[in-house]
Amino acid sequence: MNMSVALPVILPLFFGALSVMFWRSHFAQRSLGVLGTGAMLLATIWLLMETWEHGHVVMEMGSWPAPFGIVLVSDMLAAIMVVLTGIIGFATAIYSLSGIGKMSEKFGYYPLLHLLLAGVNGAFLTGDIFNLYVWFEVMLVASFALLILGGERSQMEGAIKYVTLNLLSSMIFLTAIGLTYGLTGTLNMADIGAKLATVEDTGLVTVIAMLYLVAFGVKAAAFPFFFWLPASYHTPKVAVSALFAGLLTKVGVYALFRVFTLIFNQEVDYTHEILLWVAAGTMLTGVLGAAAHYEFRRILSFHIISQIGYMIMGLALFTPLALVGGVFYIMHHIIVKANLFLISGITFVMKGTHELRQMGGIYRTNPILGVLFLIPALSLAGMPPLSGFFAKFIIIRAGIEAEAYWVVAVALVVGLLTLYSMIKIWAEVFWKAQPEGVEGEIHDVSSGPMIWMWIPVIMLAMMTIAIGLYGEPIYQMALMSAEQLLDPSQYIEAVLGVQE
Amino acid sequence: MLYAILSIFLVAAVAPVVHRLTGRASGWVLGLLPAALFVYFLSFLPAVSSGESIVLVWPWMPGLDIQLSFLVDGLSLLFALLVSGIGFFIVTYAGRYLQAHRDLGRFYVIILAFMGSMLGLVLADNLIALFVFWELTSITSYLLIGYNHEDKDARKYALQGLFVTVGGGLALLAGIIMLAMAGGSWELSEILNNGDVVREHALYLPLLLLILLGAFTKSAQVPFHFWLPRAMAAPTPVSAYLHSATMVKAGVYLLARLNPSLGGTDIWFTTLALFGAVTMFTGVFLAFRSTGVKKVLAYSTVMALGTLTMLIGVGTETALLAAMAFLLAHSLYKGALFMVAGILDHEAGAKDFLQTGGLRSALPVTAAFAILAALSLGGVIPLFGFVAKELMLEAVLDAPGLVGILSLFAVLTAILGVAVAAIVGIRPWFGARADTPKTPQHEAPVAMLAGPAVLASLGLIFGLGPGLADQGLINAAAASVQGAPVDGYLALWHGINLPLAISAFSLVAGGLLYWRWEQARRALAWVDRAAEYGPEKGYFKMMDGLVWISEWQTRVLQNGYLRYYVIVTVAMTAGLVGVTAQLFEVSVGTLHFERLQIHEMAIIAILVASMLFAVLTRSRLGAVAALGSLGFTVALVYVLYSAADVGITQVLVETLTVILLVLVLFRLPGFLNLSSSALRVRDAGIALVTGGMITLLILSTLDARLFPSISQYFIEESEPSGYGRNIVNVVLVDFRALDTLGEIFVLALAAIGVYAMLRFRAEDRR
Amino acid sequence: MNMHSLILRTAGHFLLPLLLLFSVFLLLRGHDEPGGGFIGGLVAAAAIVLYLFSMDTESARKVLRVDPRDVLGAGMVLAVLSTIPGVFLGQPFFTAQWWEFTAPVFGDIKLSTVLIFDIGVYLVVIGSVLTIMLNLAEAED
Repeated sequence: MNMSVALPVILPLFFGALSVMFWRSHFAQRSLGVLGTGAMLLATIWLLMETWEHGHVVMEMGSWPAPFGIVLVSDMLAAIMVVLTGIIGFATAIYSLSGIGKMSEKFGYYPLLHLLLAGVNGAFLTGDIFNLYVWFEVMLVASFALLILGGERSQMEGAIKYVTLNLLSSMIFLTAIGLTYGLTGTLNMADIGAKLATVEDTGLVTVIAMLYLVAFGVKAAAFPFFFWLPASYHTPKVAVSALFAGLLTKVGVYALFRVFTLIFNQEVDYTHEILLWVAAGTMLTGVLGAAAHYEFRRILSFHIISQIGYMIMGLALFTPLALVGGVFYIMHHIIVKANLFLISGITFVMKGTHELRQMGGIYRTNPILGVLFLIPALSLAGMPPLSGFFAKFIIIRAGIEAEAYWVVAVALVVGLLTLYSMIKIWAEVFWKAQPEGVEGEIHDVSSGPMIWMWIPVIMLAMMTIAIGLYGEPIYQMALMSAEQLLDPSQYIEAVLGVQE
Repeated sequence: MLYAILSIFLVAAVAPVVHRLTGRASGWVLGLLPAALFVYFLSFLPAVSSGESIVLVWPWMPGLDIQLSFLVDGLSLLFALLVSGIGFFIVTYAGRYLQAHRDLGRFYVIILAFMGSMLGLVLADNLIALFVFWELTSITSYLLIGYNHEDKDARKYALQGLFVTVGGGLALLAGIIMLAMAGGSWELSEILNNGDVVREHALYLPLLLLILLGAFTKSAQVPFHFWLPRAMAAPTPVSAYLHSATMVKAGVYLLARLNPSLGGTDIWFTTLALFGAVTMFTGVFLAFRSTGVKKVLAYSTVMALGTLTMLIGVGTETALLAAMAFLLAHSLYKGALFMVAGILDHEAGAKDFLQTGGLRSALPVTAAFAILAALSLGGVIPLFGFVAKELMLEAVLDAPGLVGILSLFAVLTAILGVAVAAIVGIRPWFGARADTPKTPQHEAPVAMLAGPAVLASLGLIFGLGPGLADQGLINAAAASVQGAPVDGYLALWHGINLPLAISAFSLVAGGLLYWRWEQARRALAWVDRAAEYGPEKGYFKMMDGLVWISEWQTRVLQNGYLRYYVIVTVAMTAGLVGVTAQLFEVSVGTLHFERLQIHEMAIIAILVASMLFAVLTRSRLGAVAALGSLGFTVALVYVLYSAADVGITQVLVETLTVILLVLVLFRLPGFLNLSSSALRVRDAGIALVTGGMITLLILSTLDARLFPSISQYFIEESEPSGYGRNIVNVVLVDFRALDTLGEIFVLALAAIGVYAMLRFRAEDRR
Repeated sequence: MNMHSLILRTAGHFLLPLLLLFSVFLLLRGHDEPGGGFIGGLVAAAAIVLYLFSMDTESARKVLRVDPRDVLGAGMVLAVLSTIPGVFLGQPFFTAQWWEFTAPVFGDIKLSTVLIFDIGVYLVVIGSVLTIMLNLAEAED
């Protein structure tokens, strides 16, 4: 029995439970935080290696056979996502040692962190559509609690928008699950895929697909469902923002990838054409939103949206190379975007603000941080030879090969505008001198208790460079997941056994 | 080769340390690297000048056909030698020029990284590797232009340069992807032999236009010429480097490189020749109009770039030979002149030609080499600039078309070129001694004089012995551009012919223009006003427009009203469902009213009534009560369909919810009337349509049930395998225990969240 | 919201032990008859909430003797732990383990990881509901 597929879910649940139990001790909270996320990271790497070797790793929970019980399934895409969760979770936990504060620890930051990670991993690994809903709920409630941690009024405002729209999405998702169950009599995604593949009248199926599109579109913050993200991501603690930015929307993207390859592959011309429009709209509105803002985290938040667009574009083009690009993009984006948020936390400690106009002079005082910012920022804008370039290149190439020229044009222009925003931050925060009349309250961030904030930033920046300089392994992983996604029968066989 | 290029980046990374260790000598120490590279590249010279081209390959991302492959032939070697050779002088020069600057260490990092990128760019054989280095030059030059980053203008114009070149770069990316598709390979060495296939390909036109866009922006062709003079915000060594040997020539390099594959068509000829000619003239004209030292030089660079583009477009053997000769000549004199400009600034504090005059006596050595370089710029015999210009005129006169227009531009450019050369070569050094902001105390240091001296002298040496240049490399370079061996040669003296006559005429006319420079400039004052409507204005308009559009769209889309977000989401859902159902002609399910029983009707009535009351009531307590009644009725439904457990749970949850609501209720303000009744009607409409649509969808699904449900398994297996008669509970704690585990954690999370929400703020204040 | 009516207080006093006992009963018989950890937990929590309304938060907290968050944490840990034993026998997580034996007085007894899981559910429900309710009630003051 291969435990590797269950551990990324069970471990954070267990550590989350433990840290609720030891809620009185700061020391226990912090050690459990690092220990738990560290253990989870190791478990996820193990799972990736197993998946790389076997193609799929499946566990029937409670020994109940599929499609009756709940299965956990890891294919290459899921394994990749889970490893990224491990990386970001671990990075956040370390960062939090300096960055989160005693108050947040006291009010459940670490249990929320563990359980959020459990929810994310559960969503990636489950092979059951209702179980996916459960993990979405776990994520939603955990993220809501993390959002309001701190009790600021702005947090509450953002959180209410966040939770309302996400509950709406959950409702639509639940409706869709009900209808799917009514149609197929099953909740196992492989089983649903196998059954729907035999249906001739695809109309009703496609209508239900639209509900999934909206439900996951909201989760992924795709156009025109993204409102909750810019309303809320700039309000919580920076470590929380980073965690959300890296992981939450990607669960929505993952779910879109999953259902629109495994389950809804009947009317690709129609469904994926819609996805293509969604992708273009997402890219554009996101990047324009960023251009309009002068607040560090708001800019970053809008860029999350625009980059979700690239990922969806990979799915929408639906060629092997495009899916490779989409997966590659996800991998690159999670690392880079989380890192940018973490950096905004360091500059916040230095300057006491996120407003670009009131910041400045950091390149003069702290050139290392400048370089650490440029690496993910330029990578985000798709500059070579960093990870983002290859991600963008694959998608553009796939788009041109698929002759989807207009969307390629959009993607290219959005790339340029992304650079514009990143350069705006760079020029304002790092290059510009500290503006006069604004008190530049410089806190020392290079020593003592702040030291933990640097480690994950450096770690993630190194990964960005590494993917850029030697991206072949990443490409091979993305390639394998693309091949699996385009041939759902592999997944179905892995879960249900060979079908007659 | 790979190690040669990597070595630069590695040295760049440790440059600040080297700088700290070696102090004042750092320029010379770091200069050793480009010098060594220059020697290394020279070692390729014998093979290349005998017509060989060498391809060296290192794997990078084989899955994507990306490899670090390098192509050493005449063209790339010429560029590599220029980049590394001039690079040596720049680094040593900067070591003194920026000696007092606190960021000199960082400067070395960027300039070396830039050098590495540039070498990679000209040597790359793989298209993607080429593009990678291409973008790297954009980024590093951005950091160089904005080197004085606390200066607002430096930041602004650095961004401008970046935006224009990266914008073009993106077009280029699309272009080279298409080129690879058309040419069937990602390796230049293969594509270049596939020219016919590429030219016949359906994508030829789009890919050509995209690549031209990339090349034109990088090489500052009209209408993208405006960024180049603005890039003068950079320190002078940067300008010397970027505008003599490197960055701006990258576009020209690309055109030359791809000529065997893309060239030879009408569109290629027309576009390049016309854009080149116009750029050439615009450049020299604006140079003549300007007075800033670096500005004049920058615009004359625009002229040179235009000339090169035009010659590549003309594409005859003479033209290509002329292009390569001109490239070399320009790199030599322009590098020298920019370094001289730096000396003027450094020693005399002069940034404008109007501030200068009669400095010959104070800076005799500088003056001598400046004049030598200026003569080459003016195309005066016997300098190498003359050789190149003669050949250029010859090529234009023999062009395969557009001879009239091109000749006209060429002659005008030659005249103005002489005048510009005079401004550079005469104005600062002769005449009455002007009051410069700083009085020169001494000649510039050796590190700063070495560059102008060597480069200007080379202009003379190659002029006197053009065979040195063409036998060495120029012929091989032209052959690479042509894609076939070249028979022509360079000569100082072609006999008395039309080009010589034009040269002589332009010398006289240009001299006259210089003599009347002040008047001419005043007469041309309208140009400044016209320039307000020029392409740079367009750029700024575009940037403003970008900000305006983004602010507008954000105001509209992200307007902060939750109700609007909800409406959009719900309406989109209804829209997508409705349209899809229409398109696929989904049959609407049927409702069997006849099967409805009396108690079911009663339940429905209660449900509807509670719902309506909850919606319409104006009291919160009433709404809570109505929702409670709704919940209890639903519990009744469960019980009716014999799901006792679910029913009990529903009752308990409902009870606790009502208690919870009552607990928080009195903290809330009363209902406010926020929206007009029209709005409410609209909202009700959306809600009704959506609800109705979902209902119909459920009915259709019920009709279409296609497969048996898995629930049968649970019913059968509950007792034998799950050891429990209560199927619901066995499902909860065994069959689907993972769901339950998730849900109880949701409950726990909610408790933690509520606790934090209630207590955090209170405790934080304490 | 202090409803110190005599009836309520008396009812609270009398009902509390009965309801708590009932909740345990529901929990234990849940596998075969309607009931189970979730319902049992809700009943127990409702009982204490009722007590809270009849008395005050102070005395409601005393009923539990421990902080509701401890109940919550214990329940969570128990629920997760109950999924693990099967793994040591080479079975997947969540695989139920049953131990049947006959004890004097009680007769046949079925013990299982499933029951432990259900107890975990029971505790989590009590812990969560009371954490929310008690804090809400206290925030009122």
